[in-house]
Amino acid sequence: MDLLAQVLVNGILLGGLYAIMAQGLALVWGVLNIVNLAHGAFIMLGAYLSWHLYQYLGIDPFLGLPITAVVMFAVGYAVQRGLLNLVVRAPMFNTLLMTFGLEVVLTYLAQFAFSADFRTINPPYAGSNVALGPVVVPMARLMAFGAALALSIGMWLFLLHSRLGRAIRATAQNLVAARLYGVEPRHLYAMTFGIGIGIAGAAGGLYGTISQINPYIGGALTAKSFAISIIGGLDNPLGVVVGGLILGIIESLALLYVGATFGDVASFGVLVAVLIARPNGLLGRTA
Amino acid sequence: MTRPLVFAIAALVVLAAVPWMGSDVLLQFGINALLLAVLAQGWNIIGGFCGYASFGNSTFYGLGSYGVAIAMVQWDLPFAVGLAFGVVLAVMFALMLGVPVLRLKGHYFAIATLALALVMTAIVSNIGIAGQNIGLVMPPLNNDALFYEMALALLAAATGTVLWLSRSRFGFGLIAIRENEEAAAVMGVNTTLYKVTAFTLSGVFSALAGGIHAYWITFLDPDSAFDISLNVKMIIMAVFGGPGTVLGPVVGAFVLSGVFEVLASKLTTVAGIFFGVVVVAAVILMPRGLADLFYRFRTSGWRYFAENIRAYRL
Repeated sequence: MDLLAQVLVNGILLGGLYAIMAQGLALVWGVLNIVNLAHGAFIMLGAYLSWHLYQYLGIDPFLGLPITAVVMFAVGYAVQRGLLNLVVRAPMFNTLLMTFGLEVVLTYLAQFAFSADFRTINPPYAGSNVALGPVVVPMARLMAFGAALALSIGMWLFLLHSRLGRAIRATAQNLVAARLYGVEPRHLYAMTFGIGIGIAGAAGGLYGTISQINPYIGGALTAKSFAISIIGGLDNPLGVVVGGLILGIIESLALLYVGATFGDVASFGVLVAVLIARPNGLLGRTA
Repeated sequence: MTRPLVFAIAALVVLAAVPWMGSDVLLQFGINALLLAVLAQGWNIIGGFCGYASFGNSTFYGLGSYGVAIAMVQWDLPFAVGLAFGVVLAVMFALMLGVPVLRLKGHYFAIATLALALVMTAIVSNIGIAGQNIGLVMPPLNNDALFYEMALALLAAATGTVLWLSRSRFGFGLIAIRENEEAAAVMGVNTTLYKVTAFTLSGVFSALAGGIHAYWITFLDPDSAFDISLNVKMIIMAVFGGPGTVLGPVVGAFVLSGVFEVLASKLTTVAGIFFGVVVVAAVILMPRGLADLFYRFRTSGWRYFAENIRAYRL
């Protein structure tokens, strides 16, 4: 029983981090209709940025998150404004291919600049644990979970209540109508992509505190983010949180009961089942 | 005889003569390039004509590979029976999963097929008859010329099929589905039947390519047989060449295989960055592929690139 509780807690903590990783992908996909295959590569860049801030400037990875997010926001804004805006109206393959090309470029640039060595962000409290009854929770994971949850809720409030958030939601519903109400789409698309990438960068910083980073982690993280976005739906950041938690728990349970090779079968099997049964996500609106 | 037909036969004869003229290195590069061209052409049927971005074609490729390997290693059957077995596996997979998965549209279809490919990798690595994680080793056959000619024949068959598609009722139905599925259904196209048939046809060619490749390499394991990056490669080649055209995917596969080959021998990091930049630039400047560039560049000249950007930018 203690083991099950421990596994569940691990799954929930992992799921919170998964959720924040997928948040940016879901936002960009839902609003701009771009499936960003380079999403994981941006998470990787955020992780490296956070690692450099900690290693060379001594900035705590959690306090450094806003810096990482702002820098990555600027990168995302520039990428959308300079490159993706040129092809957003093209058929779907083209944007997929474009982001795939970006992924390749970012991965090799990272390998070039940071080498292929594994890195971890190891703040002094990395080894400490918190005991909750019979369950032991690593401090860094708990903090990462808290930060991820706070960011998701912040993003939800932002989309719901701020002027920019309303403009983003209006664009997602109907670009032409939003334009008629004075939304400048080039700027708004770039802002949306920038926000998505900024959150991805922050997620990368959190990822670096609990896992190893190298230039090649991007692909797997993109695939996970996909799965979470599908399970949770694209309408609502809170849906993505649920998707992340589901995936985290399923993976942890599969690891315990059926072995590591079936972890992916479990999570992607659920993904296919959800897609076939509810193509708009478990919590999404049905068509 | 018409000029295109003469040209096609001439190209086929020249390609068929390569084993007697070229070096061993060229022959091996040729087998790879031909098999990739078959994959790109196979993807063209479901992706280019029907407009469904399948990431499941590498699954068919893997099933074809395992069909050959299981038949030859576990059951001591000849290669041809193995190929047929692989095709049967692929057709079964396409018919069983095609119906539910092809109900999904756009990105959702792409991701469902991607997930199926990942699931297949994990399932096959737990099946005893498929050698689990260790894989299977086939008896070697040192006859590159034979493999080359088989790959060429397969490519000719795939291209012939696509040529037939481009001028048949069935092909027009697929194009109608790509352009507007609801309208196609209203016009009396049995969309489910057409889509599943296209998916199956696409899968048969991928499976045959996988079977030939498996016997040529003589070894396969789950990760290499169901490699997703192979699927990404075939999409890039088809889209680079011109999706929905007859020769585009073949030309795209040959050109990009050549580029890969040259780059792989140079410094890999710079080569990788360069490859990514080429993909990004190609999407911006020639979004409809080499085939379209070839036809329209003559009339528009350099303005062609500016026109493309203007057509798709926000």
